[in-house]
Amino acid sequence: MLLRTCRLLPSVSLASRTHSPASFLVMAILPQLTRTLAPCRLVLRKRLFSSFRRHAVTRSMASDPAAAADATRFDFLVIGGGSGGLAGARRAAELGANTAVIESHKLGGTCVNVGCVPKKVMWNAAVHAEYLHDHNDYGFDVGNVRFSWETLKAKRDAYVTHLNRIYRNNLDKAKIQTVQGYARFTDAPEPTVEVNGRKYTAPHILIATGGQPSVLSDDEVPGASLGITSDGFFELETLPKRSVIVGAGYIAVEMAGILSTLGSKTSLIIRQTGVLRNFDTFISTNCTKELQNTGIDLWKNSQVKSVSKTDKGLEVTIVTKDPEKKNDEEKISVIQEVDCLLWAIGRQPNTSGLNIGGMGVDTDEKGHIIVDEFQNTNRSGIYAVGDVCGKALLTPVAIAAGRKLAHRLFEGKKDSKLDYSSIPTVVFSHPPIGTVGLTEEEAIKARGKENIKIYKTSFTPMYHAITSRKSQCIMKLVCEGKEEKVVGLHMQGLGCDEMLQGFAVAIKMGATKADFDKTVAIHPTSSEEFVTMR
Amino acid sequence: MWNAAVHAEYLHDHNDYGFDVGNVRFSWETLKAKRDAYVTHLNRIYRNNLDKAKIQTVQGYARFTDAPEPTVEVNGRKYTAPHILIATGGQPSVLSDDEVPGASLGITSDGFFELETLPKRSVIVGAGYIAVEMAGILSTLGSKTSLIIRQTGVLRNFDTFISTNCTKELQNTGIDLWKNSQVKSVSKTDKGLEVTIVTKDPEKKNDEEKISVIQEVDCLLWAIGRQPNTSGLNIGGMGVDTDEKGHIIVDEFQNTNRSGIYAVGDVCGKALLTPVAIAAGRKLAHRLFEGKKDSKLDYSSIPTVVFSHPPIGTVGLTEEEAIKARGKENIKIYKTSFTPMYHAITSRKSQCIMKLVCEGKEEKVVGLHMQGLGCDEMLQGFAVAIKMGATKADFDKTVAIHPTSSEEFVTMR
Repeated sequence: MLLRTCRLLPSVSLASRTHSPASFLVMAILPQLTRTLAPCRLVLRKRLFSSFRRHAVTRSMASDPAAAADATRFDFLVIGGGSGGLAGARRAAELGANTAVIESHKLGGTCVNVGCVPKKVMWNAAVHAEYLHDHNDYGFDVGNVRFSWETLKAKRDAYVTHLNRIYRNNLDKAKIQTVQGYARFTDAPEPTVEVNGRKYTAPHILIATGGQPSVLSDDEVPGASLGITSDGFFELETLPKRSVIVGAGYIAVEMAGILSTLGSKTSLIIRQTGVLRNFDTFISTNCTKELQNTGIDLWKNSQVKSVSKTDKGLEVTIVTKDPEKKNDEEKISVIQEVDCLLWAIGRQPNTSGLNIGGMGVDTDEKGHIIVDEFQNTNRSGIYAVGDVCGKALLTPVAIAAGRKLAHRLFEGKKDSKLDYSSIPTVVFSHPPIGTVGLTEEEAIKARGKENIKIYKTSFTPMYHAITSRKSQCIMKLVCEGKEEKVVGLHMQGLGCDEMLQGFAVAIKMGATKADFDKTVAIHPTSSEEFVTMR
Repeated sequence: MWNAAVHAEYLHDHNDYGFDVGNVRFSWETLKAKRDAYVTHLNRIYRNNLDKAKIQTVQGYARFTDAPEPTVEVNGRKYTAPHILIATGGQPSVLSDDEVPGASLGITSDGFFELETLPKRSVIVGAGYIAVEMAGILSTLGSKTSLIIRQTGVLRNFDTFISTNCTKELQNTGIDLWKNSQVKSVSKTDKGLEVTIVTKDPEKKNDEEKISVIQEVDCLLWAIGRQPNTSGLNIGGMGVDTDEKGHIIVDEFQNTNRSGIYAVGDVCGKALLTPVAIAAGRKLAHRLFEGKKDSKLDYSSIPTVVFSHPPIGTVGLTEEEAIKARGKENIKIYKTSFTPMYHAITSRKSQCIMKLVCEGKEEKVVGLHMQGLGCDEMLQGFAVAIKMGATKADFDKTVAIHPTSSEEFVTMR
């Protein structure tokens, strides 16, 4: 009863009278009335304080009857039920905020449905294929091997559906209301969103609408729409016989790796000479090499010129420049009978349908929402986390930022924010890559070559001591200053996917080369090479 | 062999991942031949490294002479130095035929590496990591395997979270575990070994013992401990102190009680791990030959991995040790268990368990224990952080890596 009363009170008394003595009186009384319900009081107090801050913006529910009357009011409204949105919503609800999540598609967002999770299942399957190649070397004689993409897809899809249900249950248990549909900000002065004709508002609105794969239009590249993106990859019903992937980022690398390792004849088209060009060159060079070693047909200095459909599959026309030659001679080639052309050329934010422009929320030229270090947009009461902001497009980053925001808004922790430095990340290539901190290039640029010391090693992991198929393990430490503080760690090799997290903790703590060296090695592993580098 | 066992596990799961394999035949002989070739290759590399470093190698057994200045004799030739390091290591312990009739019909881990073929029926005796690893390899590669332990769980010196879980996982993988049991006697028949086992039930009031027999055993493996290689050295004659088991007693700088004589590694009986021996040996070299008089190995927080199925990683204090040292009110435990994503679509399951033992108001992480897929490569980085004095907050402020198992360590509540 008291809880309901709490929520009603503000709508009556929290008018635009931010400077009137009367409102001070009201503020003084309210805490008395709500003393017995701690979370409610905290929420109220937050709202009271935030209304003080809204000096320049005269927002008054009393003066906009439409917004007050037919909009369902929450303490926290989250647009987007993906990694960032759900994490923020659940933490806010835990802290006592009455929360709603608006989701246009499936709970879990990109990560659960068309990202991290199904990707990892496919990568695990590709690892199985690698073990199959090596069985003979380890004494196992297997008969004929048949691979069924259909079997794998069915189980993968079932797992994703299972997760969708778990996410639904978690929201229900947390008493978070879920609204299915697309949200769009109305023109009401107080931020209000409309979903399927119904209006919702809250003093705190989080935009976590994520992103989607970028595509080229048929004007830019004729026939481009004959290709798919990573979204389409997860709809493939069968293993493509002939795949062409376009792109040099981690998604292109992962897609190409999965398809090739599972048996699709795969080409990778890149505009320059290496993949992962924003990674340390040690990794970029090695990964490019390993891709080719695993049988991927790599086209450097190339772009897709056009795509056409024939009855035998797609015909992909590629133009290759040789940067060495003086004349800009271009070579035209055609790959025929392609049954899967996959564009992995970047991602773009989901902001176009939101009408945030109408709210005056600033975005960059690509549509990413601009936020400060606390995830505030330029519009008070509106925040953004995750891929829609365009910075560090990773599920754990969105989750951490969402939770930090919840603590700031609903627990009074005004300094609560995510530290975006030294974020570790793994690329599920073959073998996997792990990286955290600065590249050698970035470190030299920031601190000067004389202040940077590099330690590196490469070796063949013991696993390959008895296999004909080989992969390398490479490791690099970027150290700065006299004390050799480890500012960057980069690696590629078997096991690197699970190896990185602990080193990331140490590096976040400011580990030096000496800290690494005084830790006793664990034998026999690949990881021990990091603490025995000379 | 563990890598080969992992192959066998993948074979079990292939169907679940969409791979239909025909009949599978395993050839221990093929595997052994390649393993032996690799070991020989390493022997050659070690030889080359010594030659390149201009280190003279002498083949034979060393024995201290009675000369006052420490001198060793090998095959009739004498050698001396102002600094002599004893690093003779250890060997598997065995029971005598007096203690257990027919004990010598069994092999040890040394014999395991001489096996020419996969045993059909294996019986492993012991509850330490070597027993666990041997049983895991044999069982996973297809040998019907029993494990005989004197009490109720394996790895009794590990955190109970690990000990309990490992015991359970062993049984889950099909190992026939005999608790509260010991081998009473062993005899040879033309169908293989007959192993007689006595089982006590500690619950019952009367010390009733149950006698059972496992028949047609083609591999009985004693994994009941290790002992130092000191008996032939004549260090007693040098006045070098040893403990009751023969381990050489050293101080924190690896000095024995005899000036100019030092010891490192398994022969000292402390932290029987290769990297420990390596690190101690190197620290000694810097102390003796670079004048770094404080150079010594810090034996605290030594990380270690057990190659069980799935593997175990551990560093620092167990919960029990921490409570005993600091008091229960000063210790906070964080733990989790989950099924790794790898198993989301397999019928065969294994768990991943993780525990942090934290001390004091600042929640300093004094112990980390885990078992699960990937834990073998996961531990090293956390060991660096813990050596640096990491707190729970240090773990929590590190962004997680997704999707991995390791991320669970930095998101514990």
